[in-house]
Amino acid sequence: MSVATIAVITLFVILLVLLLLKVPVSYSVGIATTITLLISLPWLPAVTTIMQQMTTGIDSFALLAIPFFILAGDIMNSGGIANRLVNFSKSLVGSFPGGLLYVNIISAMLFGAVSGSAAASASAIGGILSKRMEKENYPKPFSASLNITSSTVGLIIPPSNILIVFALASAGTASVEALFLAGYLPGILLGVAFIIWAAIVAVKRIFPKEDSVPLKQLWEDFRKAILSILMIIVVVGGIVFGVFTATEGAVIAVVYALILSLVYREIKVKDLGAIIVKSSKTVAVVMFLISTSMALSWLFAYNEIPQMISSFMLSSFESPIFMLLAINITLLIVGTFMDMTPAVLIFTPIFLPIVTEIGMNPVHFGIVMVLNLCIGLCTPPVGTLLFIGSGVSGVEVSKVIKPLLPFLAVMVFVLLLVTFIPQISLFLPRLFGK
Amino acid sequence: MMKRIYKSIKRVLEWMLVVIFTMLVIDVVWQVMARYAKISSGFTEELSRFLLIWLAVLATAYSRSYKGQMAIDFFYEKFSQKGKYILSLFIEFSIMAFALSVMVIGGINLVYITLKLGQLSPSLGLPVGFVYSIVPVCGIIILFFSSYHVINYIRKQKEVISSKTVRP
Repeated sequence: MSVATIAVITLFVILLVLLLLKVPVSYSVGIATTITLLISLPWLPAVTTIMQQMTTGIDSFALLAIPFFILAGDIMNSGGIANRLVNFSKSLVGSFPGGLLYVNIISAMLFGAVSGSAAASASAIGGILSKRMEKENYPKPFSASLNITSSTVGLIIPPSNILIVFALASAGTASVEALFLAGYLPGILLGVAFIIWAAIVAVKRIFPKEDSVPLKQLWEDFRKAILSILMIIVVVGGIVFGVFTATEGAVIAVVYALILSLVYREIKVKDLGAIIVKSSKTVAVVMFLISTSMALSWLFAYNEIPQMISSFMLSSFESPIFMLLAINITLLIVGTFMDMTPAVLIFTPIFLPIVTEIGMNPVHFGIVMVLNLCIGLCTPPVGTLLFIGSGVSGVEVSKVIKPLLPFLAVMVFVLLLVTFIPQISLFLPRLFGK
Repeated sequence: MMKRIYKSIKRVLEWMLVVIFTMLVIDVVWQVMARYAKISSGFTEELSRFLLIWLAVLATAYSRSYKGQMAIDFFYEKFSQKGKYILSLFIEFSIMAFALSVMVIGGINLVYITLKLGQLSPSLGLPVGFVYSIVPVCGIIILFFSSYHVINYIRKQKEVISSKTVRP
């Protein structure tokens, strides 16, 4: 057996065992990487190299966008933005049959984009709407599964931290600007697909509708929500049109959110310390994961593992269609066990060379990968959103599974469309010449 | 005694995180404004990258105090109370092994090498070893937090194993 084969086996066995024993994901990746490197290096150079790769891996100005977007999202959240977005969506679409369902989807799209966190979206929007839906006799498991799946849309609609992570993992072949532009249509497509499915169910089961609101109320709710929505437009617009970089755009989002919340008197200056500590807790998870995963992807390159896997896959799948299906199925399985950030960081260096070999655009692949891994966030055994969404609606996870299945089917359908119709992702980036 | 140290380290870390995060925001805002005012500010990008390393490493150390790193507990839930107890110890010892070998020893060696090479950062002229020095410090903090958790697990051992619901 070659060194590379032994390394692959050692790495994945140790990683899997540690993960299953509940060792935190970031530490599992770090430990498995270190032990695997010990096959080829003595221990002091090995630990020093790992440490060096971990620090140089996060020594990046582009990555700084992530802590900033997290902070901007947290400032917005403590300022009660979720309520404003829900009110606005309610005035907009509440009066259709099953109105609260669309309110949930549209609020999640807006909120997810603004806050950049699907988990925050599932708990904030679900928290506001689930009581209301229960009172109006929406079946709890159905509304919970709608909330769970629609909160993923915000991960694809920019600004999106996971797309920044992909840009990093792609080693410069996909720019943040292009990925942000590419995210819009697939994200909106997914949202619309959810709305269509919700409408079919709502009409069939005769769900209630909200009273239609007078135009004055709609205007009032719009006015309150628009400043928050404007943030996405200003920040993403600025990034896409090259006014500032993604990182600078993210810091502008922080300043914007700060001014907005202070002017609305929704937070006080003395609350800021607590908000920053809260953001730091999220930063700890994301950045440490990135740090150890960067050491891991260095180890991949060092052992020439991507070349090994890609030559194996290129020789076993002749047709690009089967190749893409095989990659998608692998990612779906990975996604059910692993969170998005480590999955993107670990599997991008492996799969990206393969798909570029068969002529796929790296930006397109980034969207496919993120959309694919969104599905895993909603499924057992490790579905963050599944647990959060069931929790806020107060319904058992096991009861959510059945109504969840059609929503997952919708996601898989959209994933197939986005995979095999590159224009959905690439139309906007091409239009703007990115 | 240990609890007091635990609480004060936590408080110092929170304080440092707030200061560094605020400095980061100010630094990059300054960079944007300076560019529009056409003032040259070559140091801001380098400073922000160093601050990001400090923020990430300090936040990681801080996250050990409340066991904040994401983990998969699907199979863990299937273990008996005694199994959960033993696993909890195993998790802390794995983390300590990583913190000690990679962060403390690997980190000190890395600091030593970069200082010996006299590597200076291009625009601030800061020794790069100084930037890395936060890593072994945080490794030691993680070792402390994990030992704190281990001691608490052992102290509550009987209670956890005999009960059906108490988490180790």
